[in-house]
Amino acid sequence: MGLFSKFAFFLGVRKKEVNVLVVGLNNSGKSTVVNHFKNEEERVTEIVPTVGFSVEKFQNQNLAFTAFDMSGHGRYRDLWEHYYKDCHGIIFVVDSSDRLRLVVVKEELDLLLQHPDICNRKIPVLFFANKMDCKDALSSVKIAAGLGLDKIMDKPWHIAASNALTGEGLQEGVEWLTQQIRDVVLNKS
Amino acid sequence: MSRGELNISRWLEAHSDRSAGLNTFARNAILADVCGDGDFRLVLTDVRLEADKRSRLKVYKGTLLTSDQVLPDIPSSLISFYSDELEPRVPSIAVACGSDLLIYKNNKPFYKFCVPPSPITPLEEETWKRFGEPNCDFAQVMTDLKSVRFNQLSARSQELLTLPPEQVPEYITRFTGLTPLKTSPIVSMTTLNRFSEDKSAIACPVLGTESGIIYILDSQTFTILHQADVCNVRTTPAIIKTAGMFDVEYRIVIACRENSICVLRRGWLEGKSLIQMTEDIVDMVLVPGDNFIVVATASKFLHCYTKRGQRVWSAPVFSPVTCLCLVPLKHLSTHLIAVGLKGGSVHLYHGRQPVDYTNSPDSPSALVFGQLGQEEHVMVVITMAGTINFKILKRTADFNLSNQDKLAAPTLQTKPLPLPKRSKLFIEQSMRERQNPIEMHQSFQEDLVRLRLTAARALVHSLTDQSGAGNAQEEIKLSAQVLGLGPKFTLILTLENMNAEKPIYNFLVVFHAKPSVYKLSTYVVFVPLIPPSLSYKMETKVTEVLTNEGVPQPPQAIRVFVMRKEQANPVLAASINMPPTDMTGLLL
Ligand SMILES: Nc1nc2c(ncn2[C@@H]2O[C@H](COP(=O)(O)OP(=O)(O)O)[C@@H](O)[C@H]2O)c(=O)[nH]1
Ligand SMILES: [Mg+2]
Repeated sequence: MGLFSKFAFFLGVRKKEVNVLVVGLNNSGKSTVVNHFKNEEERVTEIVPTVGFSVEKFQNQNLAFTAFDMSGHGRYRDLWEHYYKDCHGIIFVVDSSDRLRLVVVKEELDLLLQHPDICNRKIPVLFFANKMDCKDALSSVKIAAGLGLDKIMDKPWHIAASNALTGEGLQEGVEWLTQQIRDVVLNKS
Repeated sequence: MSRGELNISRWLEAHSDRSAGLNTFARNAILADVCGDGDFRLVLTDVRLEADKRSRLKVYKGTLLTSDQVLPDIPSSLISFYSDELEPRVPSIAVACGSDLLIYKNNKPFYKFCVPPSPITPLEEETWKRFGEPNCDFAQVMTDLKSVRFNQLSARSQELLTLPPEQVPEYITRFTGLTPLKTSPIVSMTTLNRFSEDKSAIACPVLGTESGIIYILDSQTFTILHQADVCNVRTTPAIIKTAGMFDVEYRIVIACRENSICVLRRGWLEGKSLIQMTEDIVDMVLVPGDNFIVVATASKFLHCYTKRGQRVWSAPVFSPVTCLCLVPLKHLSTHLIAVGLKGGSVHLYHGRQPVDYTNSPDSPSALVFGQLGQEEHVMVVITMAGTINFKILKRTADFNLSNQDKLAAPTLQTKPLPLPKRSKLFIEQSMRERQNPIEMHQSFQEDLVRLRLTAARALVHSLTDQSGAGNAQEEIKLSAQVLGLGPKFTLILTLENMNAEKPIYNFLVVFHAKPSVYKLSTYVVFVPLIPPSLSYKMETKVTEVLTNEGVPQPPQAIRVFVMRKEQANPVLAASINMPPTDMTGLLL
């Protein structure tokens, strides 16, 4: 947490504002997930591949989320790390029907967890095993095993199977994240 | 984790299926967006050579087999190409089976193109006519058929000649009245872009047949746009690669089974042999950009040639090559070559330098690299034992190419040659050279011959010229002058120090003369120090010894040696031809 936001927090000005980073490979459904959390009127009907990143805001249980929806395309993944420092939580979206790229997901996750701005912080990580509706989708248990999530000891993490098109599983996941961020934020103050 | 460290593999092992049981050869696996949804699939042929089994055309979505169709014959090659610009863009898949080209679209059979039959020999046509006549003596007519070269016969006659005698009559009656057709199977295939270099631009199928004919087809109407022979001698095109565009300018590079590499250009009706290899060609790729031809041979070598057929480099590989595959890396703006090696490994070469390797379960039989699913950098390895293996290149892999470039350049070339800048004079001169090349070449040659003549003359002159002898190393020069008519002469020698900086000293001059002919006043002259750029003159009186009758002897030479003191080898030697004694003067 930056000095200014800490300060602001004491003064109670930005009490309920948190930043979350939405990452994952391209085509995993990040923009669709973020789109689902927005108000009915702000939602877009057609989602196009994200270039670079886009910033979206939404509310959940009195917390104002600023979501950085990062492009998952190979050449933009270098951008992710620039936002690690100032985020309070990470949403990692995985396409559970893309068996081929599960190794790439693991590689990117390992790079993220080893990053100096992440590795020593108790930052909550929420995984969405998205596209659970696809017929060859892997279960969230298999995804967790494939990514070696059981080896993450120093950070709270949670995996939820989701369908970003219908919204199934998303609310449950975000509730967990909200609770975690609140705990961390409350402990700090 | 630092990027591109050597000990950490640059490849992620995505999936491996040892039970796939595939029998896929090189150039029989491709990556294509067959459904037009941006989710690239792997399409391959699974060959079965047994008579009772059928070969198959298989499509993989990601790592899963999603489509499996039976093929009518043994496939030789597989391509994909876009035939139109309609949205969504769906490419066609084409499989060569025998002399037919089967085209699939959206995974369904779409069209069949047959290679046109070539004319049969008149003799063969005649024999089949005679077979149809009543009371024909088959055995007699068949001996006629045998006189035709076997590979010039149609498939029907070829089969007839291999049948056991008891089946012959039945076979012949089956076909009476029908003239046989001679078709040639398609043995190799590729695509050639029509008017744009784009990856998803419209392209033409290019077929090569066993009989050595190349066909370029229109991808929509499947009519023959161009037809040419591979070479002026009959060769079989085993591997075809293309560069350029059909409508603009193109080159088709053909590796032949007879180990020659031929090139075919726009408008040509016959290819030209570019390279004749002494070793068997295993595989070949064209490197875009440089237009280099890289060939793997059975003798464990990779050879690289320019598009004109000059060898650029050769590199030995560790074990026999089974297949090659081009690995384009757009983000590094380079191309690597993946080399599948017997025993089960894939080495990656950047030019002649091996930059990386990765393992495969056993010897790879086919390699493809490109986009699969959503991932851009996937390598699919299909092995001889039938395993299918998917590898993904890490985003962070850079192959240390910037360092490699330095290593690759020979040390001599790291320093740029001290070439002068191109002056206006140079450019004008080269313009003139381009305008009148023949005259300029002739006049240059003439001047060169003149220069050589002048040099030769000067050499002859200095060899025969006695007046001056020199030693370039010691930088001294000796010249001589003979005065007098005889029998008394004066010999004047001049020793010149040509060095502008150092004096010479400790020199002496020794005369050699036959005492029976000449008598000298001194035989040894000690030379004092000669300062730089000055000379010293010495004089010797020579008296010719006259015979008792007062008759002069035939003149002889006096030899002069310039010596350094206490050294046996002379520094300089000269011989002075003495003039004959003028007897008229004596008589007076
Ligand atoms: N079947 C299915 N498709 C989804 C789901 N979530 C996203 N998609 C589709 O996946 C594609 C990529 O989604 P997008 O949000 O752009 O992915 P991003 O690149 O991670 O932002 C879109 O066509 C979505 O409609 C899901 O849960 N189920
Ligand atoms: Mg997006």
